[in-house]
Amino acid sequence: MRDYHTSMPPAGTKELDATQKFNVVAHNISKVDGEGLVLGRPAYTDDLAPQNALYVKLVRSPHAFARILSIDASEALKLPGVACVLTWKDCPRIPITRAGQGNPEPSPHDRFILDEYVRYVGDEVAVVAAEDEATAEKAVSLIKVDYQVLEPILDFEKALDNPIIIHPEPEIHEMFPIGFEPKRNIAAAYHMEIGDVEQELAASPVTVETTVHTQAQQHVALEPHTAFSYLDVQGRLVIVTSTQNPWHTRRLLGLAFQMPLRQIRIVKPRIGGGFGGKQHIHIEPYVAMVTMKTGKPARLALTRREVFEATFTRHEMRVKVRLGADPNGVLRAIDMQVLSNTGAYGEHALTTFMVAGSKTLPLYNKVKAVRFGGHVVYTNKVSAGAYRGYGAIQGLTGLESAMDELAHKLGMDPVELRRKNMLHEGETSEVFRIMGEGTEGVAMIIESCKLEECIRRGKELIGWDPEHLVREVAPGRVRAKGMAIAMQGSGIPLIDMGSARIELQDGGFFKLHVGATDLGTGSDTILAQIAAEELGVDMNDIVIHSSDTDHTPFDVGAYASSTTYVSGSAVLRAARSLKQKLIEAVSQKLGVRPQDVTFEDKMFRTVDGSKELSLNDFSYDTLYHDGTNMKTIEATESFSGDKSPPPYLAAFVEIELDKETGKVDVVNYVAVADVGTPINPNLAKIQLEGGLLQGIGMALYEDVRYSDKGHMLSHNMMTYTIPSREDVGRITVELVNSYEPSGPFGAKSAGEIGIDTPPAAIANAIRNAIGVRLTQYPFTPERVLMALRQAEKDRKGQA
Amino acid sequence: MIITLYINGKKESVECQPGEMLTEVLRRAGYVEVKKGCDTGNCGVCTVLLEGKPVLSCSYLAVRADGKHITTIQGAAKEAEEFAHFLTAEGADQCGFCAPGFALTVLAMKKEMPNPSEGEIRHYLAGNLCRCSGYEGQIRAIKKYLEADHA
Amino acid sequence: MEILEFASPRTLDEALHLVRDRHGTAIGGAAWLRMNTKIMPLGVDLSELGLDYIREAAPDSIEIGAMTTYRELETSPLLEARFGRLFSTTVSHIVGIQLRNIITVGGTLAGRYGFSDLNTTFCALGAKVIFYPGKSVDVASFIQDGEEGPFLIEKVLLPASAKASYQQVRITANDFPIINAAAAWTGSSWRIAVGSRPAASRLCKKAMVLLGNEPYPSDEKIEQAASAAAEELQFGSDIRASAEYRREILPALVRRALMEVRG
Repeated sequence: MRDYHTSMPPAGTKELDATQKFNVVAHNISKVDGEGLVLGRPAYTDDLAPQNALYVKLVRSPHAFARILSIDASEALKLPGVACVLTWKDCPRIPITRAGQGNPEPSPHDRFILDEYVRYVGDEVAVVAAEDEATAEKAVSLIKVDYQVLEPILDFEKALDNPIIIHPEPEIHEMFPIGFEPKRNIAAAYHMEIGDVEQELAASPVTVETTVHTQAQQHVALEPHTAFSYLDVQGRLVIVTSTQNPWHTRRLLGLAFQMPLRQIRIVKPRIGGGFGGKQHIHIEPYVAMVTMKTGKPARLALTRREVFEATFTRHEMRVKVRLGADPNGVLRAIDMQVLSNTGAYGEHALTTFMVAGSKTLPLYNKVKAVRFGGHVVYTNKVSAGAYRGYGAIQGLTGLESAMDELAHKLGMDPVELRRKNMLHEGETSEVFRIMGEGTEGVAMIIESCKLEECIRRGKELIGWDPEHLVREVAPGRVRAKGMAIAMQGSGIPLIDMGSARIELQDGGFFKLHVGATDLGTGSDTILAQIAAEELGVDMNDIVIHSSDTDHTPFDVGAYASSTTYVSGSAVLRAARSLKQKLIEAVSQKLGVRPQDVTFEDKMFRTVDGSKELSLNDFSYDTLYHDGTNMKTIEATESFSGDKSPPPYLAAFVEIELDKETGKVDVVNYVAVADVGTPINPNLAKIQLEGGLLQGIGMALYEDVRYSDKGHMLSHNMMTYTIPSREDVGRITVELVNSYEPSGPFGAKSAGEIGIDTPPAAIANAIRNAIGVRLTQYPFTPERVLMALRQAEKDRKGQA
Repeated sequence: MIITLYINGKKESVECQPGEMLTEVLRRAGYVEVKKGCDTGNCGVCTVLLEGKPVLSCSYLAVRADGKHITTIQGAAKEAEEFAHFLTAEGADQCGFCAPGFALTVLAMKKEMPNPSEGEIRHYLAGNLCRCSGYEGQIRAIKKYLEADHA
Repeated sequence: MEILEFASPRTLDEALHLVRDRHGTAIGGAAWLRMNTKIMPLGVDLSELGLDYIREAAPDSIEIGAMTTYRELETSPLLEARFGRLFSTTVSHIVGIQLRNIITVGGTLAGRYGFSDLNTTFCALGAKVIFYPGKSVDVASFIQDGEEGPFLIEKVLLPASAKASYQQVRITANDFPIINAAAAWTGSSWRIAVGSRPAASRLCKKAMVLLGNEPYPSDEKIEQAASAAAEELQFGSDIRASAEYRREILPALVRRALMEVRG
C-alpha cells in the first residue's frame, strides 16, 4: 500500500493526571518478563515438554457430519514405537462443555471427549501416541475409519428447525435454562423487551433498518495450542498447557474423566497469545488420556492447520437493528435481533449472543423501548467460542451501522447523533439489570464515563468536519472518514472471582501469587504494580507467580476483561490486608498500639518518632530471630465485583478507497479511550492498538471460508491473512483522564474494547466515501467494487 | 545424515534427514528460541540469521546449512538486550512469541539500512507478523532504538 | 517432506544427468516444494553450481542465474540502473525479506506458478529462459506450454534495459496477488503480460498489437489496449476473488502500467 506513515506522526504521549498521583501505578513500567521473552528463553509449553514424552497426534474426521462405524487401528499398533491408540470407547460417556466459564456453565454440555459422531471436518476421532512425531504421524495414516457419511448443515440461516439434527444424543443437557433445544438445532436462545418496541417504532417519525452479517474470525495467536501432561511423584495428573483458564480446565477435565479434582494440577507457563482462543479446554484431554493410559508423559502441539480447522472461531452473526427516532435525532426505540452460528458445539453460545446486546444497547440508554432476541444455532462447522469482543463487536457493528444510517437519513452529523443519545456518568440502563451472563444481570450506575471527552479529542485528532468527510485525493481515489463509539465491561459481576496472596520473604521482598492468567498482556506486571503501589514499595520488591492450580489461589482466568478490575482488586485487597498485618506484627514487636505505627518507604516508625524498624530487618526477625513470635506474614484476599464498569472508546477512521479496484486502506485509525486509571499506560495502549488491528482485520481482510462439503478452505496463514505491518497507515490511541471509584486505584479493564469499533467505523467511512453501505464482512476489494458498480447502475437506472 | 552447523559461534554436529528444514533441527538441538508458528512460511517467528542474512528457518533445507554460520537471538544477545530495552519501554513486548525472530530481523535491518524511514522499517519487517501489539508500539521502539544509535 | 536421496552436484553436467537420467527433482529455494511434496526420491541441490549472479552478458543482455534469490533481484544496483524500480516493485510484496532471501528465480520459473509476480514481469520484458546446456525459450512460451521432458534451468536472459511497470492488487500487503499486470516498452514495441488470473502469466497479444510500435500512444489507445487485455484473457475464481472481479479491474491495472511507462 501507499506509504502513509511518514506523513503522520505517532500519537503524542500526553501525561495523564494519574501518573502524577501515583508512584508505581499509572507509570510505564516495563513488563517483568519482557527481556526474557525477547531473548527467547525457554518459557512456552512446547519448550518445556519433557524429553521422553510421547508424541500425541490426532485422527480427524474428513467429513462434516458422520457416524463412526468402526476404527481399525491394527496396522498402526504394529508400528514399532506406537504406545497406544484411543477412541471414543476409551472415554467415559460424560458430556461436558469445553467452554472456559464459571460453574454452572452457561454453555450446554454437548461435547464428549471423543464421540461416535463427528460433527465438522477436523473433529477428533482417535488419539495416537508414539515415541516420536514421525511415527505418530505414520500411525495416524494407518488407522482405518469406516464412516457413515451424513448430510451436514453448512448454512446457519438454514439450521433452525432443519430436519437434520446435529445433536441427537440423549445425554446432552443445559446446566440451567438457556433455551437449549437441540432437536431444533438450537444451542441457546434469549429475548428481552423493555417497553413496547413495536409501538415506539410505529410512533417514530424516522426509522431505519440495517442488517449486518459478520463473519467467523480466527484468533491466530502465533503460538499454536500446546499441552503436555505427566504423572507426578504422587501419581497426580499434571497438565502444562497454553490456556486462559486453568481452574475451569481442571474442573471440566475432572468431570469428563470422572476424576476427583485433587488428582489434577493445571499449570500455565508463558503463552503466545490467546485472544479467547484458549478460553476453552482444547487439547488437554488428549494428552491426559495418553498419560493416564500409559503412565508416561505425553505432548501435543497442534499444527497451524489444526488450529484453524479444529479449535474455535468467533461466532458468525446476522445482526438486524431497527431504530426509531424523532426528527431532531432523539432515539425512541432500538430493536436488535441476532442469529448466531455456534458451529458444531455450543461453547460460549448463549453468552456471546447475549453480550451482542448487553454490551452495546446500554450505550443509548434514553430510549423508551429496547428489545433484544434471537437464536444460536448449530451447524457442521468448526465450533465457535470465545474471541475478544465476545459478541459486543458483532452487536456494535449492527448498532453503529444503523446509527450512521439514521444520521444520514436525518441529515445529521453522526457525531452529534451519538452525543445526543449516549449515556453519561451518573446514569444507568435497564439493560444492565436485565441482561447478564446467561442469567439476569446486575443493575449498575455508571460512575465513570468520559465518552464526551473521548469524542471531543477524537474529533480533534482525525480532523472531523461533518461538512467535509469525503474528498478526492487523485482521479478515482477518495479519502473518507467514519466513526463509531463502543463500550465493553470489566469482568462479569457476581460471577468472576479472583484471589491473591502476598507473603513477606526474608530480604524484605514479597511473593505475590495470583491465579490470574497472563496471556502475554502483561497482567503479571500490572498486578505487581498494584501490590507495589499499595505497599509503598518498588516493583523490584515484588516477585509474582501466577496460574498454577497447586500453588496460586483461585482465579476464573483471563477473559471478559476481568484481570485488571477483578484480579487487580483482589491484589489491592491482599496488599491492604498484608499492610495491616505487618503493622500489627511490628507494633506488637515494638510494644505499641497498631495505630501508633506507620509504614512508609519500607520503614516502620512509631508516630512519636522514638522507634523505627526497616522492612528488611523485620523480615529476618519474623522468620529467624523472634522466638515463639516468629511467623510468616501473609494475606490472601479475593474479589468478585457487584458491577462491571464499562470502559469506553470513540473511534474515528480515515480510509482511502480506490474506486477502480475497490481496495480500502486505513490511513489513520484514531481511538480515544476511557479505561479509568490505566495501571500501566503503555500496556493499556498496546491492548487497544492490538485490538484495533484485529478489528481492522475483521473489517477488511480476514474470512473463514468453507467448501460446499464443509472443508475449511482458509486453513493456513496463506489463505487466512492477518494484517501485516504494512497494511495500516497509522493507529493513533490516546487515553483520557478518568477514574472508576469501584476499580483498583480507579482502573477499569482494557483487554477487549480495542477490537469493537473497526467493522462499524470502516463501514461508515465507506458509506461516506461512495454512498453505499456494505454489510457483508469482510470488505474485500471485490465486495467494495461490486457494491460500487451496483450503486452506479442503480443511479443510472434512476436517472 | 550428520551435518555441521556453526550456531551462535559454536560448532555443532547434528543429525538430520535430508528433507528436514532448519527449524526442526535447531529446536531439537535445544535452540528453542527458534519458534514454529505457521508451517507455511508466513509468520516469521522462525527467523534466524544465516551468514548474517535473515531467513525463514522453516523454509531452509537443513542440509544446505552444512558448514554455515547461523545466529539465533541468543547469539546476538547483547544487541538484542539493547533493543529489548527499547521494546519493553514501549510495552510493545506482549506474548513474546514473535519477539526473537522479530528482534533478529531488526538487528539485521540496522546493519543493512543506515537510516530507514518508517515506511522502509515497516517494509523490511513485513515478514514478521505480530497478532498482539498492532505494530505501532514496535515501530515506536525501533525508531527510538535507531535514534539512540545516531545520537 | 522426505527426501530419500540427496545429491549436491558440483557441475551443471552432473546436475543435468541427475535430473534427466535419474529423474531427480531440482531444488531451488525449496520453500514451495516443502509444502507440496511428501516424498522426493532424489533431490538435486543446485546451490553448489555457482548459479547465483546478476550480470551483463553479451550481446546486449543481462543474465540472471537460476539460483539468484528474490532479495538479490530486489536490491541489485544493476537491475535498478537498467529497469528502475521494476524488480523492487515486482517482488517486494512477497511475504517478507526472510522468504525472499531463500526463494529463487529458477524455482518459481520452473513451477510456472499462477501466483507468481516475477513471471509476469519476465513475460513483459521478453525474457528468455535458458535450459542447460543451451536451449533458449521465451519465458512467455515456457509458462504457457511448459517444456517436454526433464529440464534444468540455468539462467534467465533479460534485455539490457527497458522501461517497464508492474501493477498488482492484493488483499493484505504481503498476501498472494489477486491479479497482476506488467507493461514494457522494449525500445521497439510494447509488451503486456497479466498473471495470477489466478492462472499463470500470459501475454496480451491483441492488446499489444493494438498499441502498435509508437513509444507514446494516446490515452485513448491505452484505454483500448487495457480493455482488450481484459477481453482476450481467461480468468478464474478462487478463494481471493471471482473471475468477474479480475476481469473488471484488469483494465485499470493495465492502463496504470502503460501510463507509468509512457509517462
